[in-house]
Amino acid sequence: MLEQSQLHVIEARCTQEAAPRCRTACPLDMDVRSFLECLAAGKLRDARKLLERHLPLPGVMCAVCDHPCENACLRRDLGGSLAVSALEKFCMKAVPVQTKPLVRPPKGQKLAVLGAGLAGLTAAFDISHKGFAVTVYHEGEKEDALLAAFPVLEKSALDEELRALEKFHVRFVPAALDESLLVQCAGEYGAVFVDASTCSFAPGEEELDGVTLLWKDNICCGGWEKSTPTGARYASSSAQAGEGRKAGITLQRILTGVSLVAAREGEIRQDRLHTPLEGIAPCARILPASGDAYTEEEARKEADRCIRCSCMQCVKECPFLQKYKEFPRVYARKLYNNASVVRGTRTANVIMNGCALCGQCEVICPEHFSMADLCLQARQDAVERDVMPVSAHEFALEDMAQASGQESAFLVEDPALAAEGGHGARMFFPGCQLAASRGEQVLAMYRYLREALPGGVSLYSSCCGIPAYWAGREALFNEHAATLRNAWEECGRPEILAACSSCMSALKKALPEATVTSLWEKLDDIMPGPFSSTTPESMNVQDPCGARHDEAWQKAVRSLAAKAGIQVKEAKRSGNESACCGYGGLVWNAQPDVADSMAKKRADEFSLPVLTSCIMCQDRFARETQSLHLFDILPQTARAGADLAQSSPGLSARRAGRVALKEKALEEFLGQKSAQAQQSALLLRIPDDVQQAMERRYILRQDAEEAVRGIEGTGAKFINRENGHVLGSWRPRNVTFWVEYTADDDGGFTLVNAWCHRMVVAGAIQPAEKVVMEERVHA
Amino acid sequence: MSLEPNFTPDSGDWACARCGAPLEQIKVQALYMHSAFAVILPRCPSCGLTLIPQSLAEGKMAEVEALLEDK
Repeated sequence: MLEQSQLHVIEARCTQEAAPRCRTACPLDMDVRSFLECLAAGKLRDARKLLERHLPLPGVMCAVCDHPCENACLRRDLGGSLAVSALEKFCMKAVPVQTKPLVRPPKGQKLAVLGAGLAGLTAAFDISHKGFAVTVYHEGEKEDALLAAFPVLEKSALDEELRALEKFHVRFVPAALDESLLVQCAGEYGAVFVDASTCSFAPGEEELDGVTLLWKDNICCGGWEKSTPTGARYASSSAQAGEGRKAGITLQRILTGVSLVAAREGEIRQDRLHTPLEGIAPCARILPASGDAYTEEEARKEADRCIRCSCMQCVKECPFLQKYKEFPRVYARKLYNNASVVRGTRTANVIMNGCALCGQCEVICPEHFSMADLCLQARQDAVERDVMPVSAHEFALEDMAQASGQESAFLVEDPALAAEGGHGARMFFPGCQLAASRGEQVLAMYRYLREALPGGVSLYSSCCGIPAYWAGREALFNEHAATLRNAWEECGRPEILAACSSCMSALKKALPEATVTSLWEKLDDIMPGPFSSTTPESMNVQDPCGARHDEAWQKAVRSLAAKAGIQVKEAKRSGNESACCGYGGLVWNAQPDVADSMAKKRADEFSLPVLTSCIMCQDRFARETQSLHLFDILPQTARAGADLAQSSPGLSARRAGRVALKEKALEEFLGQKSAQAQQSALLLRIPDDVQQAMERRYILRQDAEEAVRGIEGTGAKFINRENGHVLGSWRPRNVTFWVEYTADDDGGFTLVNAWCHRMVVAGAIQPAEKVVMEERVHA
Repeated sequence: MSLEPNFTPDSGDWACARCGAPLEQIKVQALYMHSAFAVILPRCPSCGLTLIPQSLAEGKMAEVEALLEDK
């Protein structure tokens, strides 16, 4: 399980929650983005509340702020920075005071502030609002220092803020600001703040620690003048107030005896949020028609120009990330919390199983946040602790078992060499899905490879084990890897030619010392010239997510397409940024709705017929757009697969396809007649609409046949006295199948409906007495 | 989480084909992942063969299965 420290490292990679540039530029941490959002929405009171929450002496601050946020604004080159300062002034004028902070009885410790400059008053404001009594010493009148530093400041606004301060136990005492006063205050008060803008004896800014602004003992300092690159000195209001605030935190820690430096990382102003600017149209700054102040309408329009900086680059591309309306940082936290649940509902199970593990987010993310790593680890952890929802991947794992089991898997050594005990130098590994839906093409390709490649080729049809890996079942994957290894070693450790990118990655994991080459690279080598092909003139290419980082694969596919006379036009996000078709990560099994959205979204990004090099991509896109597999354009295989491209074989047909491939291959290359035990044929007619409904429910034709055979065998069934329909159930594994059917005159049956559930009800299946509490099959 | 107690067939007049008896609404146990629920379902009073309507299997039962799997 993820350690909390690991979580923090992972979380930190997603910057979506990081502050936008306007906020990081503000020494007072003003939430400018929210302020503008409120203004744009016409929520003026909420906007003012934000000013009051973030700014010290808001009436003064808004009047004198030198708005560094505007320099940082990403709108700057897209019509001009937001007029934040003018909008703040508008807001302060348009709406009266919104918050009334509680005045608490003063605490025992007291603070002295030397100098009523902006830094000193900010420190006094912050500390007094924490309930400490503050004495501000000033020369002349208490307003003098500020009015001198900021001539634009209206005396009435300042007076109002000063009066408000006095309510918070701030006393103003006229005094000569000199070192003797400092010595006296350092002894009499718990802590002292020296405003450098008013105290000539203050140290230089560079002499102090920038994190705490501690000068010595219990004394902090801030409020220095800044200088421009040309050496001109000026008072930066935001910087001075920021220093007052920073020192205020240190002073408060001195007063309460807390570490001065612990947990102050949040105060470090850092731009971490990545905001993509593509597609954002320039929009010119709205200027006040009156020349000096905004009207409400103008202010709303101006505020509405805010880009509302945010990253969401991965989320925009991924239907899975969109589904739960959050972003990776939040998902990481949810997955972590989910894994920590001992008793209670695991609400993030759906999150970990909704990811296609395709790796697109990792490539797109400027910080390379990988949801795939996170979700796969969460799945492995859930499997290890036996809390993985049983149904999430069960069907896919059963399919893997079928593809790699006795019924479908087979290994044919090159017949020409096998007779003398020799082995082929290469092994064609078509993968379980090509075997399932393109059996004839697999055989045609094998015949060609045997002819074209010297040294012989064997044919191994099985599952590569990727479903187990995707399901987080490492033990099952390793067990399967051992089977693959046996076969590979039995064949004399040949070079493996894989036709599926998921197979490539699984085989590389399972057999790290084997040479695994993509079939496409090999074909590109042995087919040097152009070949004739009846294909669309120009096509988009889908790079399968498994080959995202496999440039050789991508290059070979494009090269073969060019030889077929196809002009490849790159679709949006091709190569390593390619999007998944929804087959990856078994999301098609766990969350078919997400998988379908992925297929649809990706298909919509193609403007031309799409050429795929992964049969599942082809299959899933075929429902949305014209899609062809490489087998459909290669001369060796195109004919064997005529008309296959636009049909999508169902789940039952796939399993039957694998069995048929095995029979044909064994017969053609080994001269063996099918050794499969032939069950007495049962004639079950399944109308198309029923078949389609069954596919959606993951009910196979084989399941329905077995159910009818079983029900007819035991006689445990219901009869509808209105129409003669028969209804019965069958539970061959963790699922109970219900079949409603009619008995036909010719001894066959016609299926009317089929449904299934996982719950066990005594008496609902036969034989009833054998019903026991089920165990998890894959646990 | 409890199931609604009583579920009748979605449609039709069903009888046990083996016993010929009309079905009666009888309380039975539904079990899943170490949890048990009492539920009233159409059942043959003679042999105990029990019918689970499609609406129950794909509705409440599927919901409860998902909830229990996430426990």
